[in-house]
Amino acid sequence: MQQRRIADQSARIVFSICAIFLILVIVGVFFFLGSNAFRLFFEHGGSDLKTFFTSTTWDPTGNNDPTGNGNPSFGAAGLIIGSIVITLLSVLITIPFAFAMALFLTELSPTWLARTLQPLLELFTGMPSVIVGFLGLTVLVPFLTKLVAPFTDNSPTAGFGWGAAIIVLVVMILPTVISVSVDALRAVPGSVREASLALGATKWQTMSQAIIPAAAPSLATAVVLGMARAIGETLAVSLVLFGSSIPKNLFTPLVFFQPNVNITQQIVQDFGETSGVSRDAYWTLAFLLLVISFLFICVSRYLASRSVYR
Amino acid sequence: MSTQTVSPTTEENRTQELSRLIGRLHATNNVAVTILWILMAIVALTFLGTIVLLLIQGLSYLFNPSFYSTDDALVNVSIAPELFNTFYILTLSEIILVPIALAAAIYLVEYARQGPLVTVVHFAAETLAGVPSIVLGLFGVIVFVIFLHMGLSRLSGALTLLCLNLPLALRLFEDALASVPRELREGGLALGGTKWHVIRTVVLPSALPGIVTGIILSAGKIIGEAAALIYTAGVSNPGNVFTLNPLISSDTLTIHLWYVKTQGAGSAGLSSAQASAISAGSATLLIIVLLLINILARSLGRYIQRRVTAA
Repeated sequence: MQQRRIADQSARIVFSICAIFLILVIVGVFFFLGSNAFRLFFEHGGSDLKTFFTSTTWDPTGNNDPTGNGNPSFGAAGLIIGSIVITLLSVLITIPFAFAMALFLTELSPTWLARTLQPLLELFTGMPSVIVGFLGLTVLVPFLTKLVAPFTDNSPTAGFGWGAAIIVLVVMILPTVISVSVDALRAVPGSVREASLALGATKWQTMSQAIIPAAAPSLATAVVLGMARAIGETLAVSLVLFGSSIPKNLFTPLVFFQPNVNITQQIVQDFGETSGVSRDAYWTLAFLLLVISFLFICVSRYLASRSVYR
Repeated sequence: MSTQTVSPTTEENRTQELSRLIGRLHATNNVAVTILWILMAIVALTFLGTIVLLLIQGLSYLFNPSFYSTDDALVNVSIAPELFNTFYILTLSEIILVPIALAAAIYLVEYARQGPLVTVVHFAAETLAGVPSIVLGLFGVIVFVIFLHMGLSRLSGALTLLCLNLPLALRLFEDALASVPRELREGGLALGGTKWHVIRTVVLPSALPGIVTGIILSAGKIIGEAAALIYTAGVSNPGNVFTLNPLISSDTLTIHLWYVKTQGAGSAGLSSAQASAISAGSATLLIIVLLLINILARSLGRYIQRRVTAA
């Protein structure tokens, strides 16, 4: 009896350690990246905060210094703009498709069709980003190059850039946004639908006036989670961006059809060749991404806590 | 008197107005429903098209025996080392992941009272799930590669994958445990079992289908992951790759696919046709494996469920 109680107690302790381990991991992520992130701003040959966030010249190794002295530059503004633009635009395109698909699956779909679409959705939720990036590189980029050729003087790299990255991102985040939205709509109790239909509302009125408002906070959570996923998406985006700095003609439509940059692409492309001060610049970028995604998670938690039906 | 003469016309007006309203509402409804069908079709066709394109691109390479050759002369154009590494890293990280995630899930579902600790663990899991994999990769570089002196190795890669997959595995295992009915636990406890004894003999067997599904789904995520591994497990192989040594650097299918398509095309000594063959073949192989994993996750869970409930 005594022995069994000891076994019970030790099992309990081991389990609680494993649960606490999870907290240690996330604290460790913040601690180790955070402690490396700020070194850039205090050491010799480093940068200051203002340059980091306002300059668009990103060249931590100094290989592309125009003066030839190999002086590094740490202006991440171009990368940050790249990440923000492709994240926002891809989420904007995703929203109507994702909500329509979720509404269709929960309100309209015949059972056989829902049963076919569900596995497809699950497969794509776990789709490796490198596969989507590969398809983007081999199918989408040549197609876009041909499509915009009349406007770009047949530039061979016209298919690369923000345009391709946005389309690739839409494919990457659609499944996530759809499945969270489906959960949100399924959580709305049937009595809400019945009440609305009993009042003589059409299906569309029921959807737009009763179900969507009832699920609004959870639907917003889906969008925020999609944004969190989009801003951290790496390989798919890096394969189709193909740039080394942000183009000069930022305010013309053609900016979407030339090699470009974002945060994750620069990390995955150049981190391996760095050391010392230039490597510290990449810790700073990683920490910036960490903070942004943490903010997204906080917002999604806040929205989720406001939702009526869960 | 006057009401009698006026009322038929207002009645008529009202009926007309109402039928106009109904007509308008139905028209709007039909338009909206049609738009939903169209948007759904676009999304579904995009997904199906992606799969078909992948199969078209690489299926022909998969039937070429030299694609899987372990021969030294053909090692450049075969994916045998990458297949081995993928399977190795998958096994290694599942061996570390499953006990930890399962133990944490057992604690949260069976032992912990609703309180600050549970909230904090869930918040930590949610935050960790939201961290981009490239950021976790750099975290792995700091902690495992540099701080713990593991270097670019399979072990560093597997431990980074542990951090990446903990939240997903935890949630799936928690769901599996929570789906076991309360009465089973209460029955076990009423028979005088200790909590751990009841968990071991009653709860875990009943939760087995969900646990197996969780393991398979996290396997899918490990197989498809690349960004977290590039700087922790490396992008190239040493000479003798087919060993169980966890401390050698190695690339997986996904890393190799990325590498030959970007930086490594020239340095790996591949012509661009060979690089295309390797990447298209690997992409097709990956999508087939993931399809199988998805089917397996559903059917195996159901199969075990039937065996357990029938027994």
